[in-house]
Amino acid sequence: MGESKVGAVLVVGGGVAGIQAALDLADSGFKVYLADQSPSIGGVMAQLDKTFPTNDCSMCILAPKLVAAGRHPNITLITNSEVVGLNGEAGNFEVKIRKRSRYINEDKCNGCGLCAQKCPVEAIDTYNKGLTDRSAVYVEFPQAVPLRFKIDREKCIGCRTCQEVCKANAVEYYQKDSEVILNVGSIILAPGFEPFDARLKSEYGYGRYQNVVTSIEFERILSASGPYGGIVLRPSDGEIPRKIAFVQCVGSRDAQLGNNYCSAACCMYSIKEAIIAKEHVPTKLECTIFYMDIRAYGKEFDAYYKRAKEEYGIQFVRSRVASITEDQSTGNLFVHYVGEDETPRIEEFDMIILSTGMQPPKDVEKLAKVLGIKLNKYRFCETGAFTPLETSKPGIYVCGAFSSPKDIPESVAQASAAASKAMAIIAPERGKLVTVKEAPPEIDVGQEEPRIGVFICHCGINIGGIVRVPEVVEYAKKLPNVVYAEDNLYTCSDDTQKRIREKIKEHNLNRVVVASCTPRTHEPLFRETVREAGLNPYLFEMANIRDQCSWVHMHEPEEATEKAKDLVRSVVAKARLLKPLKNPTVKVTPVGLVIGGGVSGMTAALELANQGFEVHLVEREKELGGHLKKIYYVLEGEDPQEYLRRLVKAVMEHERIHVYLGASVVEVNGFVGNFKSKILHNGEEKQVEHGIVIVATGATEYKPKEYLYGEDTRVLTQHELEEKLAEGKFNAKKVVMIQCVGARNEERPNCARICCGQAIKNALKIKELNPDADVYVLYKDVRSYGFKEEYYREAAAKGVLFISYSDEKKPKVTNESGKLKLAFWEPVLKQEIQMEPDIVVLSAATIPNPDNKRIAEMLKVPLTKDGFFLEAHMKLRPVDFQTDGVFLCGMAHSPKFIEESISQACAAAARAATILSKKELEMEGIVANVDEDLCSGCRICEYLCPYGAIEMKEKDGKLVAHVIEALCKGCGVCGTACPTKAIILGHFTTEEILAQVRAVLKEMEAIAA
Amino acid sequence: MESNPSTPPKIVCFMCNWAFCEEELHVPYNVNIVRVMCIGRMDPTLVLETFANGADGVMLAGCKPPDCHFIDGNLHAERAVKMLKKLLALTGLGANRLELLLTSPIESKDFGSYAKVFSEEIWKLGESPLKKDELASMIRVNVDAAKNAASAFRLRVLLGREEELTEFLNAYGEKIPEEEFDALLDEVVKAEFIRYKIHHLTRANPRSVKELAEAVGIKPSAVLRHITNMRRKGMIALERVEGNTPLYRALEVR
Amino acid sequence: MSSQKEFEPKIVGFLCNWCSYAGADLAGVSRIQYPPNIRIIRVMCSGRIDPAFILEALKNGADGVLVAGCHLPSDCHYISGNFKALRRVTLLKKVLEEFGIEPERVRLEWVSASEGDKFAAVVRDMVEQIKKLGPNPLKMEAKQT
Repeated sequence: MGESKVGAVLVVGGGVAGIQAALDLADSGFKVYLADQSPSIGGVMAQLDKTFPTNDCSMCILAPKLVAAGRHPNITLITNSEVVGLNGEAGNFEVKIRKRSRYINEDKCNGCGLCAQKCPVEAIDTYNKGLTDRSAVYVEFPQAVPLRFKIDREKCIGCRTCQEVCKANAVEYYQKDSEVILNVGSIILAPGFEPFDARLKSEYGYGRYQNVVTSIEFERILSASGPYGGIVLRPSDGEIPRKIAFVQCVGSRDAQLGNNYCSAACCMYSIKEAIIAKEHVPTKLECTIFYMDIRAYGKEFDAYYKRAKEEYGIQFVRSRVASITEDQSTGNLFVHYVGEDETPRIEEFDMIILSTGMQPPKDVEKLAKVLGIKLNKYRFCETGAFTPLETSKPGIYVCGAFSSPKDIPESVAQASAAASKAMAIIAPERGKLVTVKEAPPEIDVGQEEPRIGVFICHCGINIGGIVRVPEVVEYAKKLPNVVYAEDNLYTCSDDTQKRIREKIKEHNLNRVVVASCTPRTHEPLFRETVREAGLNPYLFEMANIRDQCSWVHMHEPEEATEKAKDLVRSVVAKARLLKPLKNPTVKVTPVGLVIGGGVSGMTAALELANQGFEVHLVEREKELGGHLKKIYYVLEGEDPQEYLRRLVKAVMEHERIHVYLGASVVEVNGFVGNFKSKILHNGEEKQVEHGIVIVATGATEYKPKEYLYGEDTRVLTQHELEEKLAEGKFNAKKVVMIQCVGARNEERPNCARICCGQAIKNALKIKELNPDADVYVLYKDVRSYGFKEEYYREAAAKGVLFISYSDEKKPKVTNESGKLKLAFWEPVLKQEIQMEPDIVVLSAATIPNPDNKRIAEMLKVPLTKDGFFLEAHMKLRPVDFQTDGVFLCGMAHSPKFIEESISQACAAAARAATILSKKELEMEGIVANVDEDLCSGCRICEYLCPYGAIEMKEKDGKLVAHVIEALCKGCGVCGTACPTKAIILGHFTTEEILAQVRAVLKEMEAIAA
Repeated sequence: MESNPSTPPKIVCFMCNWAFCEEELHVPYNVNIVRVMCIGRMDPTLVLETFANGADGVMLAGCKPPDCHFIDGNLHAERAVKMLKKLLALTGLGANRLELLLTSPIESKDFGSYAKVFSEEIWKLGESPLKKDELASMIRVNVDAAKNAASAFRLRVLLGREEELTEFLNAYGEKIPEEEFDALLDEVVKAEFIRYKIHHLTRANPRSVKELAEAVGIKPSAVLRHITNMRRKGMIALERVEGNTPLYRALEVR
Repeated sequence: MSSQKEFEPKIVGFLCNWCSYAGADLAGVSRIQYPPNIRIIRVMCSGRIDPAFILEALKNGADGVLVAGCHLPSDCHYISGNFKALRRVTLLKKVLEEFGIEPERVRLEWVSASEGDKFAAVVRDMVEQIKKLGPNPLKMEAKQT
């Protein structure tokens, strides 16, 4: 161990994956350098309008993360940069980074934007994909972090205008590129992807026909902050289209181009874009999606696909588009394709969106060369089937689309996972290079008359387009105790945070109200801001005038404006009564509890143990392994059983992992940092203390009721077939596989994700054992996403026949006097085919563990309608639960391939480490308080409190209630029931709520009086 | 009446106070001289205003380099005239209705004959199209747009900095080739002219991209792009959608 | 009384932070439109909703009050606050009847974080229903006195 290790990590790439990795590392006690080529962080997600399947506004959910990364004391942003050199080895690297000049001094620029207003030169706006222009001195988008301008040297003529108008003297024309040398212990690569250059598919006319746009361009077109203000327009003539088409797989699944992989996210984003387009177009809009297979394989994706078809009336046409031609007089376009009935067709559209696939980032060879990592044949980062996070060089990890095309939640999960790997190798250095954030001393506002500042957000046009914000500001100014009010384009932006702090000082504000979006996402940000200005964070309150006003009353600007005033008035009335609160702290037991000993549970346990934490691993069965025990092959060729043996050995031998086999968790008490649980093991209950819980309860294979399964031994599931293949007991010559058994139906509307891969894997194995065997796969859509597409192609090349079926014409399996018969509809020949297969293999769905319900209730966490565990947020918190300190991973979340379970397990471990790595946690300050003089000692509250957070104590000779702050969750049930009104719930006091009620119902004169 | 083509054109001459002496100013009666302290200080919008008020031709008369009383006012005038000619061409009045005459103040010369030649040329061109009924309204819009463009910050900055950037060094210590700068100026003049024209056209009634394209004489796609930029600058907003056609209306520019 | 405008009820909604308030947010994110008659007040748990809050709202002229919390039995973030809300609201409705206030003016609903459409539907339905009931009788009395 010659060289000493360094407790710092370099994250290359500041998209959502890079940001997540950086935040997890920084929250776990490591110094992070976050480097990005662009002048600001955010990546492609910052350009998206909405995200599937929740249709959350992309910027709305990303912005808080941008701000968090920008203001984190342990994260240093290095924008406009590239990695140019690397020395050293895992644990102690020396990285050379070249920082390209901004020509603006980052420390001096305050992002005021005057330079851009005055700049005489226009340049193509790349953030808006060239659909409009910006000035030569610019920020990429209004919420950019860091909000620092940059000069586009290509376009700038050096006229010195910006220098003259810049009040901060930040313009430095002579600023040179610079180099920094960073000393880090590990490196995470998250450079993302590059959209395919659609010009290369010349038959689609992109670049020649103005009304053919790419999907990212269309995201900008859809965006309210985009060039067309959120109305869909044809670039050729500014008309709103009546009929648009999406062409899938542009640059993906294309052997001619050498891109023989599926880009994994395009089907879903096209469905989303079609839905949003329909919502954004005031007139009738017809949307058609031309696809090969709809790959809606993720959690709840199929339900979304179904809604698109049934509720939104989006047309889906299964066909690869041959070419697109243009009618020059109208700018309309003709799609030439072969219909499902094999006849060539031509259809006219007003506008066409090319669903461009993902390519490795530009200059990726250079990066690979500098770092000494291997790329795969498509120039993505090379990883192994069971090592999805490791590059070919120790100490360098990968996440996000750079390892394979993937969507946002998977990128986010992988980012946390890579963080886990990156911190494990430098675990002993935790906490050595970080700075502790010092907030200024709190100002005592106790006896002061309230002085309220109100900040009202336009949210671009999200609020301001409907609610007349300036009118609300003027109204707010007249409310009692309001001494200052203003409107902001984005109250959440970095510069407005600064402004709020300045205004607090300038006007001696002692209460702050923000009227914008929902406190559920943005309250923490604003609380921190007021705290930084020296105010207690609980002297802040929010009015939700977007999610619960402008967005739901889009056609009633008058009423929405009045409602916004009512809401602001109500919240100001509460703000007048706000009291400072103290956040209690609790000690953390640095121990993890992992429920489930399959690949996910074992991986999570091992990751935590490698990071230095003790772990209790509880498995229901007598041995470890779970689902993985039944997997004998994987498409990529590695041996899963060998991997399982190694994993089990590592877990069993690890000194910090305590394994309980044939055991179950029967009781969980306590809260984040301080859980006390009971494990039933060998007939005895053992109590363990731990700081976090990871749920890794896995899933099981559906036992079909369909297709004679259970009645005829020649009808098997894929698992049963795999076992036969592995044991050499397979000798059938004619095999028919039926996909989507028990999935994508009325009962379970969602896709089971892994069965297509399983079917291809087993079909290839059969062909390997007996090349003459006939294998048919009857499918709805072949969902071999990502690099698995390659094996689909290989199977087809080896003669496996893939034949599609629909719900209306399902295959029929019968037993006719001992003969197994199968009939299916052949869509090309348009006739029913009869055959006598030797065996029929059912690709049975993966269904939730039946124990999930009990565990969910025990942990107080929710399940989806399908019975899988429901995470805190589908897009950005894929392995967290809403309840602090409880995490999930693997098939407990939804069906997954092994490498995906491994990624999620590592992710859960990293998220858990953000808690376990702290000696003590700061809790929410909203807890109950007992006025001991008023307390009659009736014990009603003690009985009612669901958390046991109230105990009776003797005081001055009488029994009084006492709140254990760390256990109190702040629900307020006790206070509502207290007969003497002795219990006050901080921040939601009876007086505060009553004031809100009165204010919201009364007109202004009444309350001012 | 003025519309009679047989009457001589109305010419306005802005003249440098130092360029000529009284004896040299025997000019035809149709040429009106307006004295200014230096021709280089002539505001381009003033020239356009003169055309808007019915002048058929405008002359700027000043001193030839290196004899400017104010060191380099004449050079400024040359650049301003270059830009004005670009704008005049766009308005439909034609670049030839404007002439810059630089002579040496120390040599004696006959301004009257210069004026006569210019007057003859303008006579040949005919009277200002602003006076012809069928085109007048559109050309008036054009002249107004040109006036706005000439007073726009963007163009004034470029005009004001041209010398600094092309003759000396820019902020990066480089010299911008004359042609390159001219091409940029061309682009900016055109863009500003079109945007202000769109602005004028959408003041009274909201209009569609297609209508604007016809009125401006450029492709609808180009109009749309200008609208995106005008939206960014707060010059225009969507008023309403008629059928599938969005209509835009000018916003008052602060 | 003289105004000819249609009666637009004012409704106060007490929503628990974890399920119903999130559901109302989801209605917004999904742009599900509903009538602008409701004013939402956020509380941490439906079990925190004191009958006094509801009475205060009615006294101050609310034509209807919505109490919304997490689904029974086990969605409550605080384990069983929703049961407490159920008991309190049921009891309160009985009291209201004695006071001559239609108990339908107070409504208890379970809305989860994923039920934006349900939240919108509840508001729509409630507005309709209260329009039929007419203005809060307490308001009328106050005007007369």
